[in-house]
Amino acid sequence: MTHPMVKNLKSMFKPIAVKQQDERRIMLNVPKDSLMSVLIFLKNSGYAHLGLISCVDRIADNKFELVYIVSAYVEEDVDDSMKATFVVSTFVSRKDPRFITCIPVFINAEPYERELHELYGIVFEGHPRLTPLLLEREYPIPPMRKDFDSRAYVEEVFDTVPFVDQEDDS
Amino acid sequence: MRELELYYGPQHLGMVGNFSITLKVQGDRIVKADANPGYLHRGFEKLMELRTWMQNFPLVCRINVVEPDHIELVYAMGVERLAGIEVPERAKFIRSIYCELARVASHLFGLWAYANMLGFDTAAQWAMYHRDLLLDLFEELTGARVYHIYIRPGGVRRDFPRGFEQKIVSTLHAIGGKVPDYNSLFFENRLFKKRAKGVGTLTREEAMNMGGVGHTLKATGMKYDIRKIEPYAAYDRVDWDVPVYTGGDAWSRLLAIRDEMIESVHMIFKLLDTMPAKGSVCTKTPNPFKWNIPAGEAYVRCESSRGELGLYIVSDGGDKPYRVHFRTPSYSHGLTILEHALQGENIADVGNIMISLYVVAPEIDR
Repeated sequence: MTHPMVKNLKSMFKPIAVKQQDERRIMLNVPKDSLMSVLIFLKNSGYAHLGLISCVDRIADNKFELVYIVSAYVEEDVDDSMKATFVVSTFVSRKDPRFITCIPVFINAEPYERELHELYGIVFEGHPRLTPLLLEREYPIPPMRKDFDSRAYVEEVFDTVPFVDQEDDS
Repeated sequence: MRELELYYGPQHLGMVGNFSITLKVQGDRIVKADANPGYLHRGFEKLMELRTWMQNFPLVCRINVVEPDHIELVYAMGVERLAGIEVPERAKFIRSIYCELARVASHLFGLWAYANMLGFDTAAQWAMYHRDLLLDLFEELTGARVYHIYIRPGGVRRDFPRGFEQKIVSTLHAIGGKVPDYNSLFFENRLFKKRAKGVGTLTREEAMNMGGVGHTLKATGMKYDIRKIEPYAAYDRVDWDVPVYTGGDAWSRLLAIRDEMIESVHMIFKLLDTMPAKGSVCTKTPNPFKWNIPAGEAYVRCESSRGELGLYIVSDGGDKPYRVHFRTPSYSHGLTILEHALQGENIADVGNIMISLYVVAPEIDR
């Protein structure tokens, strides 16, 4: 059964790709420009819980896929259509990854965007503090990108650390 | 008054785990709080892209040290969804029972942390002892006490050993029999009420705006529970309720946790009564070294003891995940909500608020 929101979304936002996995999971791919309006529309329709902002490095297509997962705060006895989860994704260029922040829509986007800035190098315009969140040191390229070679990095950096000589007790 | 900067943690008596907060204080009042995670960042999500689907299980369970079982479950659910695997009926019940045991163990650990931080040493030691009884059960079932690696795609690793159901029942009776003692020692204690009532209060709107889940919402009267709204395993087979409180403060959160523990114990008894006596506990899956999962993406979620736990997982058709991202409940609780809830509170209540929000640092860092 098609989710009632799918029809609304298709009529309001024209170039939108909808893939409904089942009644509870609706995957939307929207153009970069209309992503914020889709998020605002979902929020105003009652889907006001931003679960996650994620990013997938589609290195073969030279793009980043930004993924916003939105669902509703509901209790058990509401209509089943309100229990759906929307996975809204959009593509940004890999060369100059920039996007606008969605903190005005969802306050809890702040640490997620900070993390993506650190791990993927995506700049969220309008974000109040894009300072490092998790990592200890600077990396030549952001470490979660697919072209970051963990093994080569580890060999290069940590092989240079000399072994600690164990003192012989005997 | 002069504004000072104060570092709270990572080494502090009120701080559980490796996490720190930079506080701006005026006298005793907190003006601004900056959460500072990252001490436990191990890059699991990157490492998982370099390992096969099955090799990732020893990594995922280490994401939450206190409660590895729900992370295993959500990862297994993600792989099952991508590969289209069905779980046998008996395995569903075993998963539910096992996860509820894990929830009780995790809440007891949380109770230890909270009581210890407030100085209720006796209640804390009791909670640790009772958690240990549950770890004995896990050891018998899985061979390990903390990181069990018991759930796998398609079901669980092994069936209950002979007589295990009776052991679960007698252990839970031993713990449940202590609830009146816990109440008189801790939950109804006037000192606990004085320390926790009205501290770190969040309204329902605030909690919802900032991504609060689990007991943070349950303490504001909202019955938001993934086990109810998106039932997985065998949670829709038995009748149970979501306990809620309306205060929104640390006191309500702790009582919501206590009632959830009691509800979990009742649920385990019902699950044991209704579970099928015989049957397979695992669907056959391909050779793990040659297991290619069809390309696709999936988002699965379950209710861990801290709230909604999600997993966004992408496969490119290979033998390794292309991208794994865990939506852990402590992430919003420990960063957005904690920074907000600390504003205007006393320095002495930082640990109180943080532990009542149930922040577990390894979950934030991953």
